[in-house]
Amino acid sequence: GTQIRSVKDELFLHAGPLHQKIKQILAKHGLDEPPNSDVAAMISHATQERLKDIIEKLAVISEHRQDMLKL
Amino acid sequence: TPAKPQTVLSDVLLSRPRLHDLVREVDPSEQLDEEVEEILVSLADEFVENTVNAACLLAKHRKATTVEVKDVQLHLERNWNMWTPGFGTDELRP
Repeated sequence: GTQIRSVKDELFLHAGPLHQKIKQILAKHGLDEPPNSDVAAMISHATQERLKDIIEKLAVISEHRQDMLKL
Repeated sequence: TPAKPQTVLSDVLLSRPRLHDLVREVDPSEQLDEEVEEILVSLADEFVENTVNAACLLAKHRKATTVEVKDVQLHLERNWNMWTPGFGTDELRP
């Protein structure tokens, strides 16, 4: 048969270790491996958003701290 | 035989270069201390673990045999107020 492949966006997290981790946790719960990598892609994306939010907050806090020093 | 570098890195979810890219994206002038980077890397780890665990519980609750995107999505929306469009489960919502 013909295989259609598309170029996937590279994940934020390392795909190999991420899949491994997901597989491990699912097995612990007695669940099967997900049929595709959508779950991994979503978790990677969510992790990126989570960190982005924290880094944004850190930037604000650190700027505030610098301003205080100037007073 | 010496271990391949890949096996050494096998459990690292987030590499420093990726983290640096993200920081640069947020604020090009921002510099993170080594300790802060370490915390962020382990925070990413923890987040993944918590999210997958929560998704597993939701999948089991709907008596499914595996985790689907919608399980992850439900957890993110309810616990993190995170709306993640573009993952094939788009529905019109209020």
